[in-house]
Amino acid sequence: MEITEKLEILADAAKYDVACTSSGVQRSGAQGSLGAAGISGCCHSFTPDGRCVSLLKVLMTNVCIYDCAYCVNRASNTEVARSCFKPRELADLTIAFYRRNYIEGLFLSSGVIGSPDATTELMIQTLSILRNEYSFRGYIHAKAVPGTSRELIDELGLLADRLSVNLELPSQKSLELLAPDKSKNSILAPMRQIADSIADDKESRSITRRRQTHYMSATKARVAHKAFAPAGQSTQMIIGATPESDYDILNLSASLYKNLSLKRVFFSAYLPVVSDSRLPSNDHIQLDREHRLYQADWLLRFYEFDVTEIIDESSPFLSTDIDPKANWALNHLDLFPIEINKASYEELIRVPGIGVRGAKLILRARRHTTITEAELRKLGVAYKRARYFVTCNGKYSGFGIEFDKDSIHAKLAASIDGGSHGRRADRPIEGQMSLFDSLDDTRASLKGSTSADKDRLRPSFDAVTKPSGALYA
Amino acid sequence: MHSADEKDVAYLYDGSLEGLLSAIFCAFENKVTPSDVVREWEYVPRLGQDQVVIATDISKAKRVKDMLCRRCGYEAYRCVTKVSLSGDLEAGTYAYRYVRHLVDRIRSSDCASCKRRKSCSRKGASNRSRCYTFKRFAAMGDITDPLVSPIFSIARSVDAECEKIRQFARFEHLSSESFDLWFSRINPKHSVVPLVMGHFVERFNVQPFIIFDENRDLAGVYDGNGWFMTSVTEESISKNLESLSAEERLMQYAWKTFYDTLSIDSRYNPELRRNFMPKRFWKNLTEIKEMPRTSIDNTRK
Repeated sequence: MEITEKLEILADAAKYDVACTSSGVQRSGAQGSLGAAGISGCCHSFTPDGRCVSLLKVLMTNVCIYDCAYCVNRASNTEVARSCFKPRELADLTIAFYRRNYIEGLFLSSGVIGSPDATTELMIQTLSILRNEYSFRGYIHAKAVPGTSRELIDELGLLADRLSVNLELPSQKSLELLAPDKSKNSILAPMRQIADSIADDKESRSITRRRQTHYMSATKARVAHKAFAPAGQSTQMIIGATPESDYDILNLSASLYKNLSLKRVFFSAYLPVVSDSRLPSNDHIQLDREHRLYQADWLLRFYEFDVTEIIDESSPFLSTDIDPKANWALNHLDLFPIEINKASYEELIRVPGIGVRGAKLILRARRHTTITEAELRKLGVAYKRARYFVTCNGKYSGFGIEFDKDSIHAKLAASIDGGSHGRRADRPIEGQMSLFDSLDDTRASLKGSTSADKDRLRPSFDAVTKPSGALYA
Repeated sequence: MHSADEKDVAYLYDGSLEGLLSAIFCAFENKVTPSDVVREWEYVPRLGQDQVVIATDISKAKRVKDMLCRRCGYEAYRCVTKVSLSGDLEAGTYAYRYVRHLVDRIRSSDCASCKRRKSCSRKGASNRSRCYTFKRFAAMGDITDPLVSPIFSIARSVDAECEKIRQFARFEHLSSESFDLWFSRINPKHSVVPLVMGHFVERFNVQPFIIFDENRDLAGVYDGNGWFMTSVTEESISKNLESLSAEERLMQYAWKTFYDTLSIDSRYNPELRRNFMPKRFWKNLTEIKEMPRTSIDNTRK
């Protein structure tokens, strides 16, 4: 089969794997070797659905002996064409694309052909051609197959920059229901092994660096060896295929970050690609829920939030009309308004409308001048959101509304730019009445929203008389 | 700002960084305050304005550079460089006012406000250039100041354009009997080729390449040893660099196939894609631009 046909089949099979970042490792170029890696990664292209393309994301093969219910490559799906890359041709393709600045590197996952160990050996062959023959210094992300033996994971980690094992589903019960071939242990064991190897590696490398004095005796300092997965470990789970709440999912992510030191947890909204009795039958894709989960994930990683501050058992789903940080701020209005010129960095990043970049700009400008309202507007924070929560040099500019939860909630949940921001397909059409009232109700109940939200989702006759206004909030 | 007997004057320079620094030098040397400092071909005269064309003088430019680096830190010079490379019409004027502001404001020993002054060993005018706090914060300190803030935003815009070019420059392999190189065509809104060449040279040091800026007829060339800038025209490019290598079409087709296969229709969101990948870049992107469809069978390995 020709290379482009194989590429089409195997890229199509890999596209549902959302873990596609090229960040985490800084590797300079070397004279005579091709490639380098930047710490922040680089997105070389963007698909029509807005996701970034930074790596050549393919499967080694889409033949699979497992039969997971949600996967397009599952063994019982006979409609899809099956194919497999030869290690040499995949390495050549990667180098050819890299030379043309199409990609930052390779993302290699695989269906299970024969056994997990056989699959991993094919992947190791490809990666060693890249690293050893071509001296490739770009980025490589390898997906470890659950159930692989320890020695092969070790070899894989020395060749790849990032390793990941897909968690697939947020709880053991769902895993047993939808992916009976994978057990919780077969997924967690490689994750623990990778986490331990990365920790060992970091410790031994720091010991090597610390030795500054050169001893006269014959003992040498430990030679710097190849790093094990220097960009860390990540994982991915599917949202919406099973009935776990956001509370379960966020607690699971937080414990993964803490216990296994993962770099990143990815969420993928469930997309119906195969039909099965065990899977949800409606077509609604929970993109909003995925978006809110990613926002909560950012709060855990960059905004120093604890997971108990974002969500709790009494309301186990994240609010869909405002983001989790604004939700926290509204529940803790006694801490606001804070004074911009005196607040600490940790207090500043808790203000809705001020992010990490805005807080750092404020700290920078604060060294030279007092920040008043005029300067805050120029600095590059979301002033329209932040002004209800801050005072500039003692002056409060959040006029026009009461300082209580409901009024500020209405302001923060209002559509951005009068409704022109965001996906055009999601915009409500003013004044049009919907025949699909019942569908709106189903959507609202799936999202777990309150009855107040349900009223907002249903169009009312007011739409005809009022020409503007946040009808759908 | 202008007294009654001081005429409104504009300084015109040749568009290069050296020209801009020479113009700034001449403004200080002649003790005038030009109200506009613009590139020669972009100049639109104001009513009652005199114009003075400044000759580019490398020694004058070097003196301004040394003054900036020593007094205000290397960061200030770097910002002025980026502003001079930008495509803005007012860039030169903002740069002049910024240098003026720095010279007026930053005096030789200004350690009074530094928080490290008690423990610092680098106090005083002679040690100023080695002070780390000074270098980092002196130049772009008060970014809300109306003389500093346009520099900040223009430099940020140039950085963003550099990042976009690192993302979207696409190379194609041209080979014939006389040459074998990789060619890329870009259309940035600021002149970023000098700023991105270092990145591509580090990454692609095994292949000689050319990055051609079609908006400015400039090209950055790497020949295997070092890189340099040169000016070329569109005609000479299309005359001399024509022959694609044998597998080039196959690889372009493979990339386009890969790109088309990756999209998930149920998540279609063209506004988000346009946000990250502005449409002005699409004409040079292999996966989106119109490709001549030749027979792929001929290129089969």
